[in-house]
Amino acid sequence: MNPTALLAETMPAEETVKPVSRLTLKSQLEDMAALWPWVEAIVAEHAISPDTAFAIHLCLEEAISNVIRHGYSGQPGHSLTVDYASYASPNAHELVFMIEDQAPPFDPLDPSLIEELPAPAPEDFLRPGGRGILLMRRFASSIAYQRLENSDGGGNRLTIGFVLPH
Amino acid sequence: MQLSTQEMDGGITRVELDGRMDIAGAAAVDLKMNLIAGSAKKLLIDLEKLTFLGSMGLRSIVLPARAVLSKGGKVVIYAPTEMVESVLKASNIDSLLPIHHDLAAATAALQ
Repeated sequence: MNPTALLAETMPAEETVKPVSRLTLKSQLEDMAALWPWVEAIVAEHAISPDTAFAIHLCLEEAISNVIRHGYSGQPGHSLTVDYASYASPNAHELVFMIEDQAPPFDPLDPSLIEELPAPAPEDFLRPGGRGILLMRRFASSIAYQRLENSDGGGNRLTIGFVLPH
Repeated sequence: MQLSTQEMDGGITRVELDGRMDIAGAAAVDLKMNLIAGSAKKLLIDLEKLTFLGSMGLRSIVLPARAVLSKGGKVVIYAPTEMVESVLKASNIDSLLPIHHDLAAATAALQ
């Protein structure tokens, strides 16, 4: 199922689903230079506050770098996509981002990766997940992982939501 | 991403980070931060003009800071914005590197 259809299916019918905009990146950290301009355009479109823009940038950077460094083990030649959709209802406005890859199973929300450590050690920043996941949990409104199975060998999907203040 | 340094009274090295510490920003300052950490004994990391800090940027601050601490030096964080400070606190970095918003208090903590 394509991302737009999936996102639309999960939302109540009375809500408005705006067109999805997709960012495609190669599996190399240098390609992430394209992330900020993409986020900046969304921020401008929705008049998002600087604090929410910060949170979106933080969570997407963490999620995408996890895919590149851990999902694809730093190997170039792969790709990942980030889709985005906006939902507006009378009570709330939410932005949802969906990061998909074709990497081996990697659940960044796996509880074994998330440890409360008393003091930061340098290696914490090199481990898969770890403190970066704590940051995503702190700054996103919602976050969910799903393993994708298909004829191409499958992949991973991370969905991150941000409820915008009215 | 810009990095500038200033030698202050009392043997304090002040490093000002200006811009976005995303992956590209972190890569831009990594080498210089490590060079500074190699020689500084009292390091004041000025984050007043830092507009973004991600986990890769955190790494670029914490690794050099630990290098200074491991040789008996001192490191403080000065004047982070509210969002940058919340990243530091959510990562528990403040337990390793004290955060100050008053320059006199920051320099006093380094003595």
